[in-house]
Amino acid sequence: MNLTPHSKVLVQGIAAPLGFVYTPLMQAYGTQIVAGVSPGSGGKSLHGIPVFDLVEEAVASVGDIDVSIIFVQPYAALDAALEAIAAGIHQIVLIVEGIPPLDMVKLLQTAELTETLVVGPNSPGIIIPGQILLGIHPSEFYTPGPVGLISRSGTLTYEIAWELTQAGLGQSMGVCIGGDAILGSSFPQWLEILDEDDATEVIVLVGEIGGDSEEAAAHYIAEAIDKPVIAYVAGHTAPKGRRIGHAGAIIASQISELGTEIGTAASKVAAFERAKIPVAHHPSQIPTLVKKALRLPSKRSSA
Amino acid sequence: MDLLEYQAKELFREMGIPVLPSQRIDRPKDLKGLTIPYPVVLKSQVYIGGRGRVGGVKFAENTIDAIAAAQTIFNLPIMGEYPKMLLAEAKYDADREFYLAIALNRSVRRPVLLGSQQGGIDVQDAIDQMQHIIVDQEFSPYYARRLAVKMGLRGALIEAVSSVIEKMYHLFVQYDLDLVEINPLGVSASGKVMALDGKVSVNDDALGRHPNLVSLISKLGGNPPDLTGATPVAIDSEGTIGIVCNGAGLTMAILDLVGQAGGKPASFLNIGGETQWDASADLLKQRLERGLEVMGQNKQVRVILVNVISNLVPCDEIADIITAYWQRRAPKVRPLSELRPDTLIAQSNRMPALVVRLLGSQSDRARELLAAVSLPLIDSLDETVTQAVALSKANRTS
Repeated sequence: MNLTPHSKVLVQGIAAPLGFVYTPLMQAYGTQIVAGVSPGSGGKSLHGIPVFDLVEEAVASVGDIDVSIIFVQPYAALDAALEAIAAGIHQIVLIVEGIPPLDMVKLLQTAELTETLVVGPNSPGIIIPGQILLGIHPSEFYTPGPVGLISRSGTLTYEIAWELTQAGLGQSMGVCIGGDAILGSSFPQWLEILDEDDATEVIVLVGEIGGDSEEAAAHYIAEAIDKPVIAYVAGHTAPKGRRIGHAGAIIASQISELGTEIGTAASKVAAFERAKIPVAHHPSQIPTLVKKALRLPSKRSSA
Repeated sequence: MDLLEYQAKELFREMGIPVLPSQRIDRPKDLKGLTIPYPVVLKSQVYIGGRGRVGGVKFAENTIDAIAAAQTIFNLPIMGEYPKMLLAEAKYDADREFYLAIALNRSVRRPVLLGSQQGGIDVQDAIDQMQHIIVDQEFSPYYARRLAVKMGLRGALIEAVSSVIEKMYHLFVQYDLDLVEINPLGVSASGKVMALDGKVSVNDDALGRHPNLVSLISKLGGNPPDLTGATPVAIDSEGTIGIVCNGAGLTMAILDLVGQAGGKPASFLNIGGETQWDASADLLKQRLERGLEVMGQNKQVRVILVNVISNLVPCDEIADIITAYWQRRAPKVRPLSELRPDTLIAQSNRMPALVVRLLGSQSDRARELLAAVSLPLIDSLDETVTQAVALSKANRTS
């Protein structure tokens, strides 16, 4: 990953509902949005940003682009992402939910061959507090600082960022890998990025039921991560087999009667505990554990 | 969404996967018009696996036996679910039974082909013997042959089984499925294969681009899923707290916190939608408005906990919806002389308490709006949960 306040950003679907609303908010945060794409609107400008019919026309006009944020409708997202990759863009943020999983499989086949980092789908994107906003994170909950925050869920990320901010703990980065079953980037990828990031001193990983990405992350942390990690897992009491809103958060044996106990909150917490990673039992416990990891006096122990 | 066996088999038939002649039975007397020769198998059409073990599958040699068996199966709930129809199918003389499936593996983010020579009812044996092949690039039939060989098949069975796997894969891709499973794949003494039972899970997100699939499901008498998502999800018939929240992760975190604090959630509604591609402030406000209305009508719900981290909609606009709802629901203030004691009790019982936390822009204005109807705006998540649980208990004893 290569993101700085000077990164040049493209918005695909700049005229789509979310693109239209969030582009000015990203601009206001200081994100350098250099172009937008909306087929049929080429030559116009929106929020003072030039709009093109094709990604390649945008690149030809404004030069190399570092990252594209895609707001197009779900069934058009695969095509939009492939278009960005074809135009030489190697960092992509997919915001929208409801992209069919097999479209993600096709996208990942190409992304892996071209070494493209894909964040999402069903993700509010990435925020580097005080520097750059790529997506729809409400920036008022974030403040610059040493905590790297990675999660699978949008609003829960905001909640925990706010808990940290209120406790005087700023964030080096907030990234949500997304709530879908098939995701472009994984916890291990982001753990590695944050482990190498100079601004990050401690990592908070927010997991949830479904899949085995937390189990994989726990294993990866034990093997490869030097910085302290604090984990939290949501969904201990979630009803089984029911969709809560995240396709990735369903606990159900995908295959008849196979492996019903994979992906539960208990199996994830156990994996973190086996890897000697402190697990917060509720969100408000996270700042206390972070302070402990940073060897800062926590309010509770000084009281 | 899972399809019933007879719907799955309709797709198999369309794709050229061998299935037996069969007929749908809506009531026992339909068996009088059976066009399949006896002996037949009658199978309960429920969404739950393992029906064979509990008596949901019966053999019949003639019409009298068949009608009796059908009556038994129609009256047999499987995990609480009664079948709406049965499938009558020709009997197949299987020498061996295999397991085959295509599913998406989330970890490797690719489709995976699964197969075992130990299929049938005893799934544990199938799991112990399960082989898999990851389809990491474009599919080609050799992936299917690799699985067949890895399963330990030899000779003509390699072609017979891999041809079924190939067709399953095409079905999987053509309809954007989450799962295609054949268990068992019957193998006759002469080496002929037959899909004796099948399971198909449709991906709800992709259903919108498969009108053929939607019309097939409704033609066969199924209900395509409701994708509007503004209906609260009931979770505990003993519960007393309704949770209105935005975002799946946060909803789950609050369910956990309520449970940890000794409260019982009755239902939840995730108004979500922040990453829905056509999300708008109006859409989210409508969902909240409708959700509060529906949740409040549930007599079981004594406390509604509202926790919204607002991004698209400023907090004051959310507070407007909540106060309007509160004023609609609250008993009208009337002179005491006009009130009969029984209406007073009925009204106070029906009105759920409301605990509200809103995070986002314009929260000070939201606080004022809520204060005007005597609803405090709570700042901390923990405090919100503590209050909701305390109120759910106080209301219960009153």
